[in-house]
Amino acid sequence: MDTMIFLVGLNHRCAGVDVREKFALTSVADFEKSLLAACPLREVMALSTCNRVEILVVADSDRCAGIDLAEAVLRHWAEICAGPLDVLREHTYRHAGLDAVTHLFCVAASLDSMVMGEPQILGQLKTSYRKAVETGTARVIINRLLHKSFSVAKRVRTETAIASSAVSISYAAVELAKKIFGELAGKTAMLVGAGEMAELAATHLLASGIEKLYITNRTYSRAQELAKTMHGEAVFFEGMVEKLRDVDIVISSTGSPTAIIRAKDIREVLKKRRNRAMFFIDIAVPRDIDPDVNALDNVYLYDIDDLKEVVEENMSARQGEAVKARAIVDVETQAFATWLKSLALQPTITDLLGRAEDVASRELAKTLKRLGDVDDETRLALEVLVTSVSRKLLHEPICFLKRRTREEGTAERFIDMTRRIFNLDADTVNEDAHLDRRTVDDEAIDDETQDCECCRSDGPEPLAPKNKEDQPEQEDQK
Amino acid sequence: MILPELLPILVIALYFLGTVLFVVGSALRHEVLKNAALALAALGFALHSLDLLHLLVGAEAAQNLIAGRFLFCLLGWGILFIFLMLWWRLKLKFLAVVAMPLALMLYLAANATVGINTKLPPMLSGLFFFLHIGTLFASMALLAMAFGAGLAFMHLEKRIKTKAGLKQFQKDMPSLDTFDRVNHFVSLCGFPLYTLGLASGYVWAWLSARRVFSLDPKEIMALIVLGLYAYLFHQRLVMGWRGRKPAVMAICVFLLTVLSMLGINFLVPTTFHGFKP
Repeated sequence: MDTMIFLVGLNHRCAGVDVREKFALTSVADFEKSLLAACPLREVMALSTCNRVEILVVADSDRCAGIDLAEAVLRHWAEICAGPLDVLREHTYRHAGLDAVTHLFCVAASLDSMVMGEPQILGQLKTSYRKAVETGTARVIINRLLHKSFSVAKRVRTETAIASSAVSISYAAVELAKKIFGELAGKTAMLVGAGEMAELAATHLLASGIEKLYITNRTYSRAQELAKTMHGEAVFFEGMVEKLRDVDIVISSTGSPTAIIRAKDIREVLKKRRNRAMFFIDIAVPRDIDPDVNALDNVYLYDIDDLKEVVEENMSARQGEAVKARAIVDVETQAFATWLKSLALQPTITDLLGRAEDVASRELAKTLKRLGDVDDETRLALEVLVTSVSRKLLHEPICFLKRRTREEGTAERFIDMTRRIFNLDADTVNEDAHLDRRTVDDEAIDDETQDCECCRSDGPEPLAPKNKEDQPEQEDQK
Repeated sequence: MILPELLPILVIALYFLGTVLFVVGSALRHEVLKNAALALAALGFALHSLDLLHLLVGAEAAQNLIAGRFLFCLLGWGILFIFLMLWWRLKLKFLAVVAMPLALMLYLAANATVGINTKLPPMLSGLFFFLHIGTLFASMALLAMAFGAGLAFMHLEKRIKTKAGLKQFQKDMPSLDTFDRVNHFVSLCGFPLYTLGLASGYVWAWLSARRVFSLDPKEIMALIVLGLYAYLFHQRLVMGWRGRKPAVMAICVFLLTVLSMLGINFLVPTTFHGFKP
């Protein structure tokens, strides 16, 4: 009863926007449940965003021998979206086994995103996972896989510089402004002319703490309009140069065929503002600001090409970081493969007995040390005692696991539970790891890392967790 | 006493470790390492203060005061003190790159000059000592910081002006404005201190020898530095200079003071400003 992990999906690279919108699952209710009903699957999770659709499924290999699972999923998907199956088949990719795991990790770490390193995808993945948990289509393997993918994403974010530099023009402008002025709080910006990119840059500046935004336009009413939506102050176009003495950052994007801000004007302005630094961002083509402005001391001028260059450089830096990120993904994929293998009955029993033997021998050593010299007979008796106690204690759980496996064909849920209760994989669990589904998922056991009574005391202690009725103090005295 | 003998080695070790750790931390962009480096430097600074105090209150205090070791020690201490002030006021960790190696070098120099005594004059005691040496050293320490900030400013400004793109190292640097604020602070505080130092020197010269100017090369140098410093002070505060020009100016002034301090002390035979044995 081998487990199979499958992933079919499409993304911005392999499918055009018309295909993506045709097969988007964002407005389909309960896709997971219907898929589960239509195909012999065990677990399902679907992620659908404007750039991609990913359907992750887990199945038993003996239950679906002879069925092309990926094909079945595609057929159901096409049916639900009422689209042609052959178009879907042509534009999707399929991953099986560890490839699927790697792919999911890459998606979570934003290595597969349109703008590599942008973090939105992780939030979308979390939402999809929560939905799958709520509908009950995510179980042992998807639970583990998704939790791992979140931690992979976190590792990639903290251990590589993949998300550390701006890869959009407006963010690059804000980053440069910060490099020049330090904190942007208390600074003033001016928007000359209007245009989508200029407005976006102004919005980013406002979000970074700019105190005041002036807006000017050849048509004053347009400036007023913008001022209202962006909480700025409209300024007459004729008074623009005069106003510049109070302005630190200028974003310009007018349709003027000639320069509207000249170096000699700025020289005067600089004198009036006692050489406080100015940053000009010229997004217009043809350019609005005389390039000679950049030659003045304490004035920095970036036009659209300069900014594009910055962005491209940052982009290529991200590509370099992606290599490091892939290495992390590979390591984590291997770790996941190891876990998947251990999910069978026999390795779990071996691990359980090994753990018990380990604890028994450690405690035996402690006790012998405390007792000092003992004859061989006593030592032997003690050895037999601890091993038989630990074995007997595990006898029932092991029988239970075996019975379940025999009856249901698979007992992954219980095996996983056992592994977690006894912490056989030596996982560390963050305290907030399950915060997002605490109310939803009662399967989760959050206390894996908490100290328990039986680990704390140094005194003679029982090998198995105590009953609550036991009185530890009395035991110690005995 | 074991302490005084071990103290210099400890201070040197701490400064050295701190410097190395800070450079490594900056290269790896590791905040914890940088903070550890600063903690080491602060510890070194505390021991350094102890060392100075020991020189001041010991039985041989009067002799110690004119020892070359004490003077270098004091200068290194001053630089670190100014750095710690800037760190506290402007949150400027970055200048540790300048302050820590300088403090280390000066402390090393101090310990290399054991046995060298200045022929400093009997009357230079108490008030005048601190008016002259203390103020001059403080302004030199300030200039050292302005030197570091100036170099960093010019480097970063060039990258931004020429649109050469910012490498990770430059991304981690503080902003241009922060470096300029260091320059402002140094111009504002350093120039009055330097003037006070020089003036007190002349007053003392007049009191002791009835002679204000002795054509000592160091005095000539000091007057040139004062002139440049005054120009910087004036342009910065009155004419509203900012950015590159004052940065260049501060770098020049610092280099000149170093030249007058080391070059003249050790290379040119001088009347009484030298630390020669």
